[in-house]
Amino acid sequence: MNTLARSQSFGALIGVAVMLAVFTAIDFSGWWTRATIANVIHFAAILGFLAMGQALVIMTREIDLSVGSVYGLTGVAFITLTPDLGVTGAVIVALLIALAVGFLQGIAVVKGQLPSMIVTLGGLFTARGIIYVWTGGSVHNFSEDARADWMTRLLGGELFGIEAAILWLLVIGVVLNLMLWATPFGNRLLATGGSEDSAESRGVLTDRVKIITFMLCSVLAGFAGILTLADRPQTHVTLGELLELEAIAAAVIGGCLLTGGRGSLIGAVLGGFIVTSFRYELIALGAPSSWFITFVGIVLIVAVIFNQKLARRLGHSV
Amino acid sequence: MPDKTPLIQVKNLDLYFGAFHALKNVSVDFHSGELVGLVGDNGAGKTTLIRVLCGIHKPTSGEVWFDGRQVKEFHPKLAIDNGIETIQQSVGLCDNLSIARNFYLGREPVRRIMGIPFLDMGKMRDLSTKVIREFGLRDNVSADDEVERLSGGERQSVKIGRAVEFKNRVVIMDEPTNHLSVREREHVNELALQLKEQGLLVIYITHDIFQVHKLANRIVIMENGEKIEDALTSSMTADQLEEVIRQGGRKVEKREAV
Repeated sequence: MNTLARSQSFGALIGVAVMLAVFTAIDFSGWWTRATIANVIHFAAILGFLAMGQALVIMTREIDLSVGSVYGLTGVAFITLTPDLGVTGAVIVALLIALAVGFLQGIAVVKGQLPSMIVTLGGLFTARGIIYVWTGGSVHNFSEDARADWMTRLLGGELFGIEAAILWLLVIGVVLNLMLWATPFGNRLLATGGSEDSAESRGVLTDRVKIITFMLCSVLAGFAGILTLADRPQTHVTLGELLELEAIAAAVIGGCLLTGGRGSLIGAVLGGFIVTSFRYELIALGAPSSWFITFVGIVLIVAVIFNQKLARRLGHSV
Repeated sequence: MPDKTPLIQVKNLDLYFGAFHALKNVSVDFHSGELVGLVGDNGAGKTTLIRVLCGIHKPTSGEVWFDGRQVKEFHPKLAIDNGIETIQQSVGLCDNLSIARNFYLGREPVRRIMGIPFLDMGKMRDLSTKVIREFGLRDNVSADDEVERLSGGERQSVKIGRAVEFKNRVVIMDEPTNHLSVREREHVNELALQLKEQGLLVIYITHDIFQVHKLANRIVIMENGEKIEDALTSSMTADQLEEVIRQGGRKVEKREAV
């Protein structure tokens, strides 16, 4: 039923196929090893959460630049609060902090009628500033007890022999896809991004839709931060820096049009896989790690051009 | 015949957009079972007035009463919940969604699975298919197609079909026959009359006085944000009303009511 909407991820599918073919051709023995694939998939899964949240926000025709900082802030909160609240308590409070950031940004965007690019840029700096103040620039760590806690293992360990982050991505990805394509809320979210005036004229509370979407995006970013640290419990003040760019790149590579109303969560996750793979393979091939950002930029531009051409070919007005 | 108490009562309505005085002390009553033609040139304030009635604009001062109660809050959702359906010219359909999804936007039917509301796509598809067939959309257009594929006339048909399907008390039509073929236009006008016969209030906005004079039982003329005429079609001919518009106010002898 959503064949067209689903085909938004068409570009990302082709991208994955081309990328794997190239990597196979130039670095067969380096790429196709268990360690490489496991590593890439782990980090791609983490980025997948951020990319799905970003995709939802882009589908409402907004953008969220704060996800890298929210990822960091939630992770730091999780580690720092654990000694006082226990692991489970810390997870809950950390996610509430993420929700609050999303709520405040959403309110500022819709009630203040401000561009989300500016509001969330403010959020990016504010959340990063709080990380510096809160940690005092020092590194926090987990106690042995906390590492052994069932919640830590549920989030960071392996479940049924598969990494927890991957299982969580599958579960939450299915839930979000159902929400987007099969519920009234999803219909209103897509309508808000497609034409806000029309949605409003049909009685859709577009402000509420946007606030909820910003909250979803922040909480997904925060959850990704918690998953990262449950796996490797060590904070540093730069945790998640520049991650917002990777998330946006993943969503756009995955077929989300910045004009709103069209996109794909599956595509966003595939986009995250492409971005992560490039990072890994560039390092493996001996390129300086700073080249990665340049490469993401190039891939992003190619993806935008490709997706625009594809959308026009399908007759969309973009 | 129209009721005695008006369904919608507008009293001394003023609306400013910044310094621009868009509606000037407008008072008008609308009754159930009426088909009122709201006529005037571009910029006369017709669309602004109905945008107050459908909750998009909040008046600067003055009162709006609906069904004996004063309206305090203005929001499209409240208007729709009260049974006011509006067919607007430029908005109402989201290009990126299918016809079925547009049809039910904001009032989606759901099937609950473990308490979670899921879209009832089957129902959405069936009813919207029925309506687009009635309105004579191209045979190869299905309810699953995105609205983007439709022509101007087809888009208008979807909007009108939707309003008629969800009719409950008031249907407001803003230039409903723009972009329509002759046949589609007749169909729309016939529907407007049917709705009136069913006891609904129909407000029909147009600048074609001759077309609406044949349909409406009452004509309200606006100019520069003011109401300048409010007459039964039985008391004034279309030519006389056109003269009122031309003169920008009543300077024409009123014919005795028959």
